[in-house]
Amino acid sequence: MDPITFIFNFGIPLAVLMVAYIVGTLLERRHFASIRSREASIRGFPVMTFDRMPEEWQVRKSELFAGSVVVSLDYFKRIIAGIRGIFGGRIKTYEPLLDRARREAMLRLIEQARAAGFDAVINVRLETSRIANANSGEGTAGIEMLAFGTAVKLESRL
Amino acid sequence: MRFEPRAPDAEINVSKTHPLVEASTVLLGLIGLLALVTVLIVFAIEMLIRFIPEEKEVKWFSGWTPVERLQSDHPQAEAVGDLLARMVAQWPDTEYQFRLEISDDPAPNAMALPGGLIIVTSGLLDQIDTENALAFVLSHELGHFHNRDHIRQLGRFAAIGLFYSAVSASNGNTAIGYNVTDLTLRGFSRAQERDADKFGLRLVEREYGHIGEALRFFERLSEERESGIRWDNYLGTHPDPQDRIAELTHLAEQNGWRLSGEVFDWPPTARIE
Repeated sequence: MDPITFIFNFGIPLAVLMVAYIVGTLLERRHFASIRSREASIRGFPVMTFDRMPEEWQVRKSELFAGSVVVSLDYFKRIIAGIRGIFGGRIKTYEPLLDRARREAMLRLIEQARAAGFDAVINVRLETSRIANANSGEGTAGIEMLAFGTAVKLESRL
Repeated sequence: MRFEPRAPDAEINVSKTHPLVEASTVLLGLIGLLALVTVLIVFAIEMLIRFIPEEKEVKWFSGWTPVERLQSDHPQAEAVGDLLARMVAQWPDTEYQFRLEISDDPAPNAMALPGGLIIVTSGLLDQIDTENALAFVLSHELGHFHNRDHIRQLGRFAAIGLFYSAVSASNGNTAIGYNVTDLTLRGFSRAQERDADKFGLRLVEREYGHIGEALRFFERLSEERESGIRWDNYLGTHPDPQDRIAELTHLAEQNGWRLSGEVFDWPPTARIE
């Protein structure tokens, strides 16, 4: 195999993998930092999975809110996850993706509700769907995470 | 009781394993799996060769011609056939009925295929200028039949296919998977080429009484390779021509074969007249 073929066959795919790893890691780190600081700022805002409110709450108005995010994994982690899929076991490289998506969707839901002047969100649900080609099952290894719930404004602030 | 909201210290739903550690774990696992599969395939092929005698192979594959664009009316077809028959005569205990085809392909190459089929490209015939060199190329292919390499080759394709599908099934990088497989298997391939060389040179020595000019084709390969002309088709799966020349010269010296003697031109114009 001559050098040009070698570079073409190994160098380019490896370079793409390396760039994907570096960029993907940086983006993930930045996203987690943003999630953590925003979570700190909404701390104390009541968010519940109950579908009914505490009896002493006097609700003035309620509204459905949804926070949605579409996020993808870098190529490097996707490949590692793919190989992991041969043997089975915990797909550890996918865990940050799901974690980021869940927390980002929740943050978007809560931030909207709070900005609109609501006091709490009840009956919160999370839905995940895979963004991929329906025919082949392949395509973008991205997911959509949807968080939705009923935002309530109370007669008197808790 | 008062509720005090507090965040957990870190990402509790994310494993602590570093992605690179995870990567090495799964890659080592994959390499181990592939190594195991390779060993099993090699073993299966060796068993297969034992249970498929030559006659059976010829029967199965007679009439099988996988290459398109064959040139049955190539001007040198008959002469190449005659030369092949002379080389086969030096291997009297073969059970093969050999078939020769010339394919219309500018890349110099020759192939040994199941059922005793030998395919020579027109590009090879254009490049060859002595009969002795062509005799060696043909004998080299006979060497593959002698060692039953073409059956091993089938196994190799099966292995490549298997690796390839394993890697694509994992949704991973098929380019790297394929190339690693290919490169590994070329190692096996080069060992077979050396054995076929040795067998081929033996036939040439029996036919001509010397090995002069037999290695001429390799010398040209290595000259043109240095001058930058690409011989991908021939070089990829074959050892470095310089190494082959050195090894074969050594073999000739060991056996006390003459290194030079009468050399015939190719194409054999003088004899046709």
